[in-house]
Amino acid sequence: MFGIPLNILLMQAILGLALGAVFVLLASGLSMIYGLMDVVNFAHGAYYMLGAYAVYTMSLFTGNFGLNIALSVIIVAGLGALTEITVLRPLYKRRNPLYPLLLTFGLSLAIPDVIKIFYGLMGKAVQYPEMFMGSFSVGTVIIPKYRMFVIVITFTVLIGLWLFLKKSNLGMFLRAATRDKEIVDVLGINVAGIMTLGFTIGIALAALGGSVAAPMVAVEPDMGVAMIMQSFVVTVVGGLGSLGGAIVGGIIIGEIVSFTSLFAGAYADVAIYFAMAVILLIRPRGLFGEIGRE
Amino acid sequence: MISSDVWKYFFDEYKHIIVAFILILMMPLAIPIPTATEMIIYGLYAMGFNIALGFTGMLSFGHAAFFGLGTYGAAIALRYFNSSVWTAILAGAVLAALGAFFIGALCVKKRGVYFALLIAAFGQMFYFLALSPLKHITGGEDGLKEIPILSIEFPFFIDLAKPFPLFLFTFFIVAVSVLLMHRFLNSPFGALMQGIRENETRLQACGYSVLFIKIIAFTVSGLFSGLAGALSTVYLGYGNLGSLYWLTSGRGVVMTLLGGMNSFFGPFLGAGIFIYFEDTISVMTARWEVFVGTMVILLILAFPDGILGTLEKRFRKTRKAETSIAQAIGNR
Repeated sequence: MFGIPLNILLMQAILGLALGAVFVLLASGLSMIYGLMDVVNFAHGAYYMLGAYAVYTMSLFTGNFGLNIALSVIIVAGLGALTEITVLRPLYKRRNPLYPLLLTFGLSLAIPDVIKIFYGLMGKAVQYPEMFMGSFSVGTVIIPKYRMFVIVITFTVLIGLWLFLKKSNLGMFLRAATRDKEIVDVLGINVAGIMTLGFTIGIALAALGGSVAAPMVAVEPDMGVAMIMQSFVVTVVGGLGSLGGAIVGGIIIGEIVSFTSLFAGAYADVAIYFAMAVILLIRPRGLFGEIGRE
Repeated sequence: MISSDVWKYFFDEYKHIIVAFILILMMPLAIPIPTATEMIIYGLYAMGFNIALGFTGMLSFGHAAFFGLGTYGAAIALRYFNSSVWTAILAGAVLAALGAFFIGALCVKKRGVYFALLIAAFGQMFYFLALSPLKHITGGEDGLKEIPILSIEFPFFIDLAKPFPLFLFTFFIVAVSVLLMHRFLNSPFGALMQGIRENETRLQACGYSVLFIKIIAFTVSGLFSGLAGALSTVYLGYGNLGSLYWLTSGRGVVMTLLGGMNSFFGPFLGAGIFIYFEDTISVMTARWEVFVGTMVILLILAFPDGILGTLEKRFRKTRKAETSIAQAIGNR
């Protein structure tokens, strides 16, 4: 294709998939939070950034990369739960989704600045774990090990999430509350707790995205600001409130970025918004959005 | 001879605006003049934004597109065509209105978050186009510089390089815009827009073309946002790339909700407060965002309908209570 050898194209496809995997993590969290509580979470990028900084901080103490990621996700998810309980919860009774949106916008301004105070403006570097340094090759296709690790861990986590939502009781409550909170409340289930749980899972996914992305990107306070719009694109392209949509959307957008950077670097960012506009104009609900949720 | 009834009507209709204008003109006494200028520019932007959100019920996350088109329209006219300031501002506003018209025509069928994010996608598209593919025209990351020093020649000479004349000039344009907006929103067409916000289906059943009304409302909203963008070019002296970034849209939403989207001047007040804090705190510390962010969070928690919205509601309630007491006494 265009005189570029097939193995390069395949490699680019895998890089796109790894980038897409990070988008998928962010978008599935966003989608879950929107589906459950109608909150467009502008602070999602900030939690992504916190995930990356948490991994950086952990890496100063221990060398175990897996442990670092796990601890970072737990810490940031805890912060997410705290945010939901303290500042978001009082806004639900106003029944206007604009106020939570505005609140998360305030958070998205404040959180990166707090990080700037503690860590400074300079970017931090997180080392690749030794185990995943370098690359391996399949035939003539060279695959960086770490990207493969990101792809694998993302899809493992998503399968886990899917099983949790479909097979466990708690997951069932979550899905039910997404449909109709009042009925769930009448059935004697603690809806406020379910909302906190949903928000926390969403934030945990964002933090996981940030912590696995940390070695691949520059860890800096404003890394989330650029990421948030792209995650919205992924979410909307896939269809709000749909986990499968977030996955497909993430892969599509990841590949679009990857391939436009190969052919026309300057247009990489234009391309994703263009793709979003085209997809939404053709399919108003995104690829997998539910009817009535538009 | 105009009868006193007409004067009374005129005064009743415009007293809020007159009071607001007097307050705005008094701002330079208390606030540094450049900050005051920026406050009223963003005030106009937020009020333009609120034509879509507060009066028609269309939430857009992409008004940066129109603010930015205004900014670049004016900057390009000034830089490449050596136009006068008047023409440049007009060019910016018209470019933004055209952009809003076409984007609106494509998107108004969508609703809610999809509509909001679709507009945002167009805004981001413009941002990244201006950032690198169109660098040779827009100046890329640095913005569009090398704009000559600005002054007004007609109808009399105003040196826009000095802060106070610049403030007065900006105020003049903002004031005219506010009056036009007031007229527009109180026209029968404005009533139709508010009808869409309240009950779109019923309006359609009455035989109105909802799509047409929405497109026009969105265009007017884009026009005033673009006008503010053009003024920001004149104020800054260059076309700023940040004007197109999604944070500009976000700021518009924040300012509007902060002040109160159900009140005519609410967004203006919200914008003023936001910019005032931003400018004042950013002089004291580079970490102003943490303060502004926290302030936004606290104000949201404290004022459910925005600052002016909540105050108006409370005021109305007490007045209603007084009238009902008065009526009760009168009936006895």
